[in-house]
Amino acid sequence: MTAFEPWMLLVVSVVVFCIGLLGLILRKNLIVMLMSIELMLNAVNLCFVTFSKMHQLLDGHLTVLFVMTVAAAESAVGLGLVIAMFRNLRSVDSDQIQLLRD
Amino acid sequence: MITSMILFPLAGFIINGFWTLWAARNGSRVSSRVSGAIATSAMLAAFVSAWLARSQLPASGSTEVEIFRWFTLGSLSVDFKLRLDALSSLFTLVITGVGALIHLYSVSYMEEDEGAGKYFAYLNLFCFMMLNLVLGGTLPQVFLGWEGVGLASYLLIGFWYREEANVSAGQKAFVMNRIGDLGFLIAMFIGYKYSGSLDLATIEKVVLPAGVGTSFVLLVFLACTGKSAQIPLFTWLPDAMAGPTPVSALIHAATMVTSGVYLLARLSPVISQSTTGMTVIAGIGAATALITAIIACFQSDIKKVLAYSTVSQLGFMFVACGVGAFGAGVFHVMTHAFFKALLFLGAGSVIHGLHGEQDIFKMGGLKKKLPVTFWTFTAGWAAILGMPPFSGFFSKDEILHQALVSGSGSVILFSVLLIAATLTAFYMTRLYWLVFFGGPRMDKSKFDHAHESPVAMALPLVVLGLLSLAGGFAGEPVHLPHPEAVRSTPAWIIMVVSVLAAAVGATIAYRRYSAGAVSPEAARDVFRIDSIYSSLFGGGLKATASATQWLEERVVQGLIRLVAAITDLSGNMIRVLQVGSAQAYLLMMIIGLVVMVIYFLKGVAQYGNF
Amino acid sequence: METSSSLSFLLTIPLLAMVISWVIPKALQRLYAIFGSALILGLTVYETAGILFSATSEAAKVFFVDQRLEWVSELGMSVGFRLDGVSAWFLILSALTTLVAFSTRGSWYRKQPRLFVSMGFFLLFALNSAFLATDLITFYLSYEAVFIPMIFMVGVWGENQKASAVFRFFLMSFAGSILMLVAMFQIMSMHHAATGQWSSHLADIMKVVPNAPVESLLWPCVGFFLAFAIKVPLVPFHGWLKEVYVNAPMPGTIWMSAILSKLGVVGVIRFVIPLFPAVIKEYQGPLLAVSAVSVIYAALLAIRSSEGKTLLAYSSISHLGFVMLGLFSLSAEGSNAGVLLSVGHAVTSAMLFFLLHQVEERSGNVDLSTSKGLASNYPTLFSGLFIAVLASVSLPGTLNFGGEFLVLLNAYRASALCTILAATGVILGAVYMLRFFQKLGLGTPGSANHADVALKKDLSFADLLMVILLVGIVIYGGINPGIFMKG
Repeated sequence: MTAFEPWMLLVVSVVVFCIGLLGLILRKNLIVMLMSIELMLNAVNLCFVTFSKMHQLLDGHLTVLFVMTVAAAESAVGLGLVIAMFRNLRSVDSDQIQLLRD
Repeated sequence: MITSMILFPLAGFIINGFWTLWAARNGSRVSSRVSGAIATSAMLAAFVSAWLARSQLPASGSTEVEIFRWFTLGSLSVDFKLRLDALSSLFTLVITGVGALIHLYSVSYMEEDEGAGKYFAYLNLFCFMMLNLVLGGTLPQVFLGWEGVGLASYLLIGFWYREEANVSAGQKAFVMNRIGDLGFLIAMFIGYKYSGSLDLATIEKVVLPAGVGTSFVLLVFLACTGKSAQIPLFTWLPDAMAGPTPVSALIHAATMVTSGVYLLARLSPVISQSTTGMTVIAGIGAATALITAIIACFQSDIKKVLAYSTVSQLGFMFVACGVGAFGAGVFHVMTHAFFKALLFLGAGSVIHGLHGEQDIFKMGGLKKKLPVTFWTFTAGWAAILGMPPFSGFFSKDEILHQALVSGSGSVILFSVLLIAATLTAFYMTRLYWLVFFGGPRMDKSKFDHAHESPVAMALPLVVLGLLSLAGGFAGEPVHLPHPEAVRSTPAWIIMVVSVLAAAVGATIAYRRYSAGAVSPEAARDVFRIDSIYSSLFGGGLKATASATQWLEERVVQGLIRLVAAITDLSGNMIRVLQVGSAQAYLLMMIIGLVVMVIYFLKGVAQYGNF
Repeated sequence: METSSSLSFLLTIPLLAMVISWVIPKALQRLYAIFGSALILGLTVYETAGILFSATSEAAKVFFVDQRLEWVSELGMSVGFRLDGVSAWFLILSALTTLVAFSTRGSWYRKQPRLFVSMGFFLLFALNSAFLATDLITFYLSYEAVFIPMIFMVGVWGENQKASAVFRFFLMSFAGSILMLVAMFQIMSMHHAATGQWSSHLADIMKVVPNAPVESLLWPCVGFFLAFAIKVPLVPFHGWLKEVYVNAPMPGTIWMSAILSKLGVVGVIRFVIPLFPAVIKEYQGPLLAVSAVSVIYAALLAIRSSEGKTLLAYSSISHLGFVMLGLFSLSAEGSNAGVLLSVGHAVTSAMLFFLLHQVEERSGNVDLSTSKGLASNYPTLFSGLFIAVLASVSLPGTLNFGGEFLVLLNAYRASALCTILAATGVILGAVYMLRFFQKLGLGTPGSANHADVALKKDLSFADLLMVILLVGIVIYGGINPGIFMKG
C-alpha cells in the first residue's frame, strides 16, 4: 500500500466538486440543488485543508471554519426560501420557477 | 414739477387699477363717475405740472431730473431720468392738455359701461407711459414708454374683449408695433456700440460712419413706421378703431401715433447725417400720405375715414422730417392733435347721439340735432382742409413749402403732397356733408332720438374747437434747425396753391354728395393691402411654423426615436440569453469562467507568471 | 453670517425637511410643504443676504464661502461647495420654485402625498448641492440625484403617457450625463498627467486644464456641452422636453422649467466656459448661431402649439436660447445679463405654469383651439396671468426686459447677425404669448365648460398672496434689475 499523498485528497476534492457542479446544473429539484451546493462547498473545504497541510499553514483551517459557518447560514436561508416557494408555487422544480423572465 | 407730471397719471392708474380689481374680485362695480373723476383730476394735475415745468424751463437748454439708477452693467449705466426741453415740453403739454380733455369727455361717454374703472386705469397708464416716452432721458427709458404705450393701446383697442375681433385688432396692433420695436432695439445696439452710452444727450451728438449711419436711421424709422402707422406697417391703425372712440382720439390720433415724429425730431442731429435715410423717410411719408388719402375716399365708417386721414396726416409730418424741417413736422403734430382729437370726439358725439351708428351713409341732417357737435366739427373740418386762419393752414402750408424749397425737397414731393391735400379736402367734405347735411338716411325713430351730448362731452369739443381755430397763430412751437432753402418760391404762391387745392377737393365732394338723394357706397378695399399682408406675412409665418413643426416631428423626434430604437434593438438581442432558468445562467457563468481561466492560463504559459 | 456653517446649514435643512415629512399626517402634508418651503426660502434669503446685498459688486465678489472636504483622497475625490453671488441667487430661486410647486393642488396630494413632499424636499437638496458644487464628482452626483425625484414625479403622478415620457427624459438626460462623466474623467486624468496627483476639485483642475492644447480639450468640452445643451435645452437637443413637460404633473413642470433648466445654465457658467475658454472662443460663432436658432425655432413651434402647457414649454426653450446667447457672447457683462435673464425666466415661468394650473383647475383643460373667455369670471387670476405674459414678452418695466435687453446688447458686439436673428424672437414671442392669453381669457366665453366654471371662485387668498409675491419680484426686478447682477 503506497503512502498517503496529499494530491490524492485534491483529486477527491475535484471529483466531489464536479459531482456537485453537475448536480447543480442538471438536477431540477431545488432541494437536491441545495445539497449539490453543499457538496461543492465541502469539496472546497477539503481543498483548503489539504493545502494547509501541504504548506504547513493555519490559514486554510481558519477559512474552512468561516466557510462552514457561512454554509450553515446559507443552507438555512436557502431551505427557508425553498419552503416559501413551495408554499406559493406548490412545486420545487427549478424549471417551473421562471418568474423573473421578461 | 417734472417728476410730479408723471407721478399723477401713475397714481391714477394705481388707484383705479387696484380699486377695479378689488371690486371685480368681490363682484361689485366701480362707480364710473368717481373713477373718471380720479383719472381726470390726475390728468389736470399733470397738465398744471407740465405748464409750471414749462414756465420754469430756461430759455434755451434743458432740465434733467435723475430719479434712480435703472441698471448698471460693466461700463454701461442707465439712469431713470426725466429730461425736459422745448421739444418734450410741447409734447407734454399736448399729452396732458388734450389728454385731460379726453378724460373729461370719457367720463360721460363711458358712463354706462361696466368696465369704466378699468378703462380709466388704462387711460392713465397710457398717459404715464406716453410721458415717459417724451421725457425719457435715456433710450431704454424712451423704449419703456414706447412699449408701454403699445401695451396701453393693446389693452384699450381690445377693451371690449368679449368680441373676438376687437382682441384680434389689439393683437395686430401690438405685433406690428413689435416689428418696429425690433428696429428700435437694434438701433439702440448700434448707438451703444458707437457712442458707448445710451443717454440721449450722448446719442444725439454721436457721429456715425456713413453706412452705419444710414442703417441706424432706417432702423429708427422702422420703429417709427410701426408706432406712427406708416408704410409698410400702417394697417393696424384702421383696425384699432375697434376701441372706444375717445381712445381713438387720444391714442390713435393725438398722441401715441405722433411719437414717431417725436423720436425723429429728438434724434434729428443724427438723423440728418444720412441723406439716404432722409430721402427714404420723405419718400415713405409722401407715399403714405397719398395712398391712405385715396383709401379714405372709399370708406363708409366714420371712424375708419378719420383713421386713414390720421395716417395720411402723419405722412405729411414725416415728409417734413424727411426734408429736414423737423420744426414744421412738430408744428403739424400740435395742430393735428387739436383738430384730429376734435374730429374724433365729434365723431364720438355723433355715434353716441345715434346710439352706436357708425356708417356715414346712415346719417345725415344732424346739423340741427347736434348743434355744438356741428359747429365744433366745422372748425375741425376747416382746420384739416387748411383753410386760413384755422390752425391746420399754418402747419400744412409750412410743410408744403419746405417740401418744395428745401435741399432734399423736390417738385415731385410737393405735388404728391398737394394731391394728398386735395384728396383730404374731398373725403373730409364728403364725411362732413353726409353726416350733417341733407336728409336723414336712418330710421325715423333713430333720428328722432338723436340727441346732443351732455356738457362733459360738449366742453372738450368747444375747447378743442377754439384751439383748432386759433392754435396756428402760435407759430412753430419748437425751434429746431431748419433746412437751407435752395429754391426760392414765394411763400404766398404756395399758400394760394394749397388753399386752391383744398377748395377744389371740397367742391368736388360738395357737388357729388349735395345733389339729390345719396346712394350708399359700401366700403371698398382699394389696394387690398390688408389681405395681401395677411396672406403674405400671416401665411408666411404659418408656413414657416408648419415647416418647423414638420422638422420637429420628423427629424428631431425621429432622432429620439432612433436612439430609442437602437436601445430597443440591442435589448432584444441580448434578451435571447435570458431564458429564465437559473441553471442555464449557471451554465453560462461556468462557460465564462472556463474561458477566463483558459485565457489567463495562456498568459501564464506565455509570460511565465501573471 | 458668511461662515461655512451657513453653507452646510443650507444643504442640510432640505434634508431635514424631507425626514420630517415622513412623520407628518397625510392630511397636513400640503400645509407642511408650503410652510416648510416658505421657511427654507426665508432662511436662504437670510443666510445669503450678506453676499447678495453688499454695497458694491466688488465686495460681493470677495464675499464667498468655500468649503472642501476630503472624501476618497487616494483618487482625489473631495466634496466641495462654494457660495457666491451667482449660486446664492440660484439657491433662492430653487427655494422659491419649490414653494410655488408645493402651492399647487392635485392628485399628488391625494395619492402618496408623503412621497411627493419628501421627493420635493430631496429635489431641493439635490439642486442646492448642484448649484453650490465646486468639485466635479460632487457636481456629478448632485446632478444625477436630481433625476431621482423627477422620475418619481413623472412616473407616479404623471399624465397619460408618463411611461414614454419618463423613458425619454431618462434616456436623453442620462446620455448627456454619461458624456459629461467621461469628459470629467478625461480632464481629471489630464490633471493627473500634468501634476502626478488625482484631484476632482475645480480649483485644482482650473490650474491645468484651460492651458492645455486646444485639440486635447475639444472632446471633453463637447461632453460637457452636450450634457448641458440637453439639460437647458438647446435646439436640436430638446426632443425630450415637450412630452416630459406635458405629461409631468404641474409641480414637476414648474420645477423643470423654472429651475432644472438652470442647472444647464450654471453648468455652462461654471464648467464649460472657464474650463475650455479656447475651444469655446474658437466655436463661438456656431454656438451663438445655435442659441439664436433655438430662440426662433422654439418660438415657431410655440406659435403652432394648440395646448397651453406645450406652448409654455416651447416658450421656455426660446427664452433660454436668449440666456445662452448671453453666455456665449463671452464677456463678463454678457454672462451677468444671462444670469439676470435666467432669474427672470425662472420667476416668470414658475408664475406662468402656476397660473396655468389655476386655470386648468377651473376649466378642466388648457386647450387653446377654442376660446374660453374666462377672464371676466376670474379677474385677479387673469390679471396675474397677464402680468406674467407681459414679463414673458419682456416688456420694459418687468424683470425679463433688463436681462433680454442686456443680453442682446452684449451679444450684438459679438455677432450682429445672430443677435438680429434672435431679436426677431421678440416679435414671435408677442405673437404666441398674446394668442395664449387671448385664447384662455378673452373672447366670448365657450359654452362647453361654462356651467362647470361658474361654480368655482377666483384665486384663493393664499394663492393670491403667492401671485402678489411673484408679481412683486417681477416688477421690482424691472425697476431695479441691478440687484440680480452682482457676482
